[in-house]
Amino acid sequence: MSSWRATAALGRAVVLGAVAVALALVVGKPVLMVLAAPFVTFTALGLAHRPHRLPRLDSRLDHGVLHEGQGTTSRLVVGDGDEAEYVTRAAGRPAYVAIRPHDGQVGGLLAGGVPAVEISPRRWGRRVLGEENVALYSPWAGFRFGPVRLGGRPVRVLPTTAPYDSRAEAPQPIGLVGAHRSQRSGSGTELSGIRPFQPGDRLRRVNWPVSLRTRTLHVVTTRAEEDTGVLLVVDALADHGGSGGVGAAASSLDLSVRAAAAIAEHHVRAGDRVALRVVGRGQEQVGYGAGARHLRRIQDQLATLRTGDPGEPETGVLQLGVTGGAIVVVLSPMLAESMGTVAATLTRRGVAVLVVDTLPPDARPATLGDEQDPALAALAWRMRRIERSVVLERLAALGCPVVPWRGPGTVDEVMRRLARRAQLPRVVAR
Amino acid sequence: MTPRTSSSQIALRALVLLGPVVAVLATGPAGNWPPWWIAGAVVGTAAAAAWAPDSPYGTAAGLVVLGWWAIALEDSLPASILVAALALVVAHVAALLASYGPPTMPLDSATLVLWVRRGALVALTVPAAWVLALLLRGEPEQPGIWLLGAATAFAATVAATAALAVRTGEG
Repeated sequence: MSSWRATAALGRAVVLGAVAVALALVVGKPVLMVLAAPFVTFTALGLAHRPHRLPRLDSRLDHGVLHEGQGTTSRLVVGDGDEAEYVTRAAGRPAYVAIRPHDGQVGGLLAGGVPAVEISPRRWGRRVLGEENVALYSPWAGFRFGPVRLGGRPVRVLPTTAPYDSRAEAPQPIGLVGAHRSQRSGSGTELSGIRPFQPGDRLRRVNWPVSLRTRTLHVVTTRAEEDTGVLLVVDALADHGGSGGVGAAASSLDLSVRAAAAIAEHHVRAGDRVALRVVGRGQEQVGYGAGARHLRRIQDQLATLRTGDPGEPETGVLQLGVTGGAIVVVLSPMLAESMGTVAATLTRRGVAVLVVDTLPPDARPATLGDEQDPALAALAWRMRRIERSVVLERLAALGCPVVPWRGPGTVDEVMRRLARRAQLPRVVAR
Repeated sequence: MTPRTSSSQIALRALVLLGPVVAVLATGPAGNWPPWWIAGAVVGTAAAAAWAPDSPYGTAAGLVVLGWWAIALEDSLPASILVAALALVVAHVAALLASYGPPTMPLDSATLVLWVRRGALVALTVPAAWVLALLLRGEPEQPGIWLLGAATAFAATVAATAALAVRTGEG
């Protein structure tokens, strides 16, 4: 437990004052008393303001949940700090966290209020925010309390909601209600056709011009409007490229997570059902659902995903639990064979699959150590990229579109093409 | 990104370095410049104190200065002692402020103003002690006269700074 301890300044004043006075008396040099006078005063004032009560320190964050790039304030609460005059806060420097002012190294007189520290996580994931060392000083800096280490608070930093919108219709909507134009007739608003009246048709659907011309009742039919299911498959097998946090260079996982968050938010707002499956060590998954709370669950899972091999059986294809009519959006740098295989298998089965390529253009292989030959690593990386381009070409040949993530409008064109293709009859492998 | 030492900390540490050096060289105008090894020792310990203001190096630098002033001059009270004492006070306050936090922490203006006022107040004891010493120099020495003088200076300063502390708290 921390307590008030004499500072180096008080020790210096005591020693210099005492030695100067002693020397002045011993050798009879009044000049030494002139030198001693201020230090004797500093000593006396420091000792006179010795604190007696132990203060209590606690720090709090203004917000418990943050998106990357957002900020919060860490506030220090000092209890029983009446005898303290000055406070020093030295915040820790966790990775991907920006701290202001002065990187969290702040101090000030308690009479003017405890200085606040602003914290902003720059990358999604689990972060411990607000960790710091705090010290209090008595008046005249005679005594110091601390430094006391205050633990931080684990905060789940959600991926940023990148600006994203899509006007493309879903390829195979089969839900109940929603915003997408269905292939079957129903009570929507878009014209499907005009047919003779049948018992059960609503009178307000009667098309009077056609009925008068043909002398039989005709009604207008419309397309139903339905929601669709969107399965987001995030490749977290490895993270390629460097990450500088939001607003800086993005790694493959950064692009995948942010793109998944943006697509999920877009579809949830459109009333669609969205599911998430992370292919990685944590194997995080969220079932189909809609609404703001469901979106938050998806963002939470994206924020806590762990990279690594999920340990799937080598012989088996990834089981994603794709339901009929769902759109599968695979967000992957496409460097793992399993991702290419699952995309090809689903495409052959007639599932609408879209691959969003999240490999940064400037991605480089991670160095494995000093013993690694850079030329060999560069050659291996080049071969890997060639293999990757072959996989992407084969996927395109199968009819699985592959697009690099570009933010808003990234998937519009391919979604329109998928929607047109879904209306054509075709033979699929079962 | 490696945090950089703040400009205020650099200025404070420069004062920590210069204070003892000025204090030891202040015997020169009185007719006795310090030998190179004394000056070197002061520079070395003061530089160490500037690097680590929370360390005992500042005390060591002050002790060397005291020792030199004890042997440098005979029974004289040159005016340069005022410069030496003020330099030591400035170095002490600068080291105190620098040790409030890590080198990257800048010093806020309110704290600086408070300590400038405090330092000036304490520095008033220097000319007071010097004048007292001048007045008593020809007198037959009384037992405990110096302790009495120091106690008087201390009591006066405590009374004055008590009022200052109240004003600061209210402000």
